[in-house]
Amino acid sequence: MHRTLLVARREFLENVRTKGFWLSIIIFPLLISLSAVIPAFLARKATPTRTFAVADASGHYEPLIAAAVRSGDGRRSNRMTGPPSTPLPARTRFHLAPLPAGLKSDMDLATLEHQLRPLLVSQGTNALFAAVLIPRDFGPGSTNAVRYWCANQADSGLRDLIERTLRTEFRREEYTRQGFDPALVTRTEALQVPIADLNPTKAVGTERVGLADQIIQWAPSLFVYLLWIAIFAVSQMLLNSVIEEKSNRLIEVLLSSITPTQLMMGKLFGIAAVGLVMLGAWLGSIFTVALWQTRAAAAVATAGSGLSELPQALVGLFQGTWLLPAFAFYFLCGYVLYAAVFLTIGSLCNTIKDAQNLMGPLMIILMVPLFLMPFIPRDPNGPLASFLSWIPLYTPFVMMNRVSAHPPLWEVVGTTIVLLAFIVFLLWACGRIFRLAILRTGQPPRILELLRWVTETKSS
Amino acid sequence: MATPVLELERVSKYFGDFPAVQELSFSVPAGCIFGFLGPNGAGKTTSLRMILDILRPTTGSITILGHPSALKVRDRVGYLPEEKGLYKKMKAWSVIAYFASLKGVPGAKAKRTAHELLERHGLGDFAEARTDTLSKGMSQKVQVLASIAHDPELVILDEPFSGLDPLNQGVLEELVLDLKARGRTVIFSTHVMQHAERMCDRLLVLARGRKCFEGSVVEARRLLIPKVRLSAVGDLRALEALPTVAALNHLGPGEWEIILRAGADPQSVLSACFTLGLPLTSFHATQPSLHDVFVHLVGAEVATEDP
Repeated sequence: MHRTLLVARREFLENVRTKGFWLSIIIFPLLISLSAVIPAFLARKATPTRTFAVADASGHYEPLIAAAVRSGDGRRSNRMTGPPSTPLPARTRFHLAPLPAGLKSDMDLATLEHQLRPLLVSQGTNALFAAVLIPRDFGPGSTNAVRYWCANQADSGLRDLIERTLRTEFRREEYTRQGFDPALVTRTEALQVPIADLNPTKAVGTERVGLADQIIQWAPSLFVYLLWIAIFAVSQMLLNSVIEEKSNRLIEVLLSSITPTQLMMGKLFGIAAVGLVMLGAWLGSIFTVALWQTRAAAAVATAGSGLSELPQALVGLFQGTWLLPAFAFYFLCGYVLYAAVFLTIGSLCNTIKDAQNLMGPLMIILMVPLFLMPFIPRDPNGPLASFLSWIPLYTPFVMMNRVSAHPPLWEVVGTTIVLLAFIVFLLWACGRIFRLAILRTGQPPRILELLRWVTETKSS
Repeated sequence: MATPVLELERVSKYFGDFPAVQELSFSVPAGCIFGFLGPNGAGKTTSLRMILDILRPTTGSITILGHPSALKVRDRVGYLPEEKGLYKKMKAWSVIAYFASLKGVPGAKAKRTAHELLERHGLGDFAEARTDTLSKGMSQKVQVLASIAHDPELVILDEPFSGLDPLNQGVLEELVLDLKARGRTVIFSTHVMQHAERMCDRLLVLARGRKCFEGSVVEARRLLIPKVRLSAVGDLRALEALPTVAALNHLGPGEWEIILRAGADPQSVLSACFTLGLPLTSFHATQPSLHDVFVHLVGAEVATEDP
């Protein structure tokens, strides 16, 4: 055991000392925090104020568009309910410019368009982002279209704003024409249907499904993705560490000092620890960013009911009986399992190139749980979930999704035993292959040869 | 002779149908330098790997430091494999310390020993250097040091001299002799006869997986038929009657060559000359080199295998 730790210590220190490790430690949180900040920053700074002109021959709609631009509708227009729009940001998104000198709304459409066209493609100070021409007889039921002139088809914000403004006005006009009170219509549209979610598996008095239950429902997916990320973070290290010793022929010195199982266990623990440190750093940074974002949001908005519930919900999740320990257990099992798979692949190969050829099939195997993940929670104790639980490569993924649905105890115990036995077998087998590989340099062995190696009696 | 450090008894190893080593028996006494000689493909490396229990023999038994498997006495054995490599990104001292610690040396002591060894063998300035920045000779020295850092009783070096320049070969020879002086046993394989001749107390010659000689260098030399060249004023035909003489050739005026019987001592001819009062002007006994013995043995073995 002591020497296993020595191997683990070396693997850990060697991998932690690499530039790659520190780059991944830094880059991931950097990306996360940037992804939180950049879009807002871009929306605020990078998109210029769009200057546009309206030639409204009807004379009715231009003031409505002007009002919509002033109200900052472009930013928060999608919120049909809830508190009124927040105050305008420091910089307005749209600017309604008056028509250029010499042009009037009631001029001939062809003349107007001819005169506006150069401004729409120019880059000068009097350039226009868009021009909106509204025909004289425009109104509900009209076949005459609003003519929206714009060189930029990608930024549809302004077009949406105008369409929304005009549609709202069309509806209001139509309701009035039909004899409805517009205020009544607004009230009617704001009506909501209250649904209380109740869960019969919960204790009496706490059946109400809250945010915590939603978090618990999402937790398995979170753990599955975490497991994926954790596996990939260390897969290359695992392959490299075995292949280096094989290609350097250090393998002989090592095996004259320690048993192959000690070596493999050491590698597994050492490199797994590297991955966990990396994961810890990432989670820590995500948590910090999330907290910071939540605080920023809380500072802007009035204390929303959802936010104040969050800490309680998290506490509830941690206290949530054995769910979290179960997730942690399956996470660790899955992590160790796939680490052992990568070590086995490494022990089969003499070069990284050989290993990459074997990675393809493994990737496909690893994709399966991601594809199946949406289906498992829908029928967590159904035949598909039950079947997959018994395949060790999928047990951790599937069981994470099943634990909250209380699968039969014999299945939990049975699949866990199979999983643990498979891990032990893999570690033993890859140690054995590693040892036998001394005789082999060259191509990875064929499957049959491999089976023979693994099944060969101990005395050979 | 004290109990041998290593004893092989009728050890054979087959790879499939191919016999890599056949019926190999020998023993290595404690405190000696034991040479493992043989041409390429003779089974040297396979034998050493079996001794270390990295490979298991197909038949036969091995006793190392009193145990049937080297795995039981790992910490008392040091091993330098034929194909050499190091962890590229590690510092010289830490590689040595790591391998020592895997052999059971406590961490702090392993570190101290690593620095001491590097210092003692002229690599003190490179202790902090990463091994991929070292020259081939230096990194080979580091590997040798890594294999002896735990002060093993038995050191097994597979082709330790290959790839080294004469200067570094000399350094390595000193290192091996120093191990012997401290009572350690060293087994090394080589196909360079000069090293074996200078250093080995005992030799084993392998060819095609079979032992063709085991014994001391002196015994090895005796395998070759010694010749003596003589110059004399008179006639030397009287020497033909000596029991140690196989043949006497008259090469020219005053020049003679005597072919001795196998194992005979050339001194016997010289003393006979004195006894018989023969007027010698020169006496030259050619000492067969180990190289001659090797070619003789290996050539003979190859000859019998290829009719």
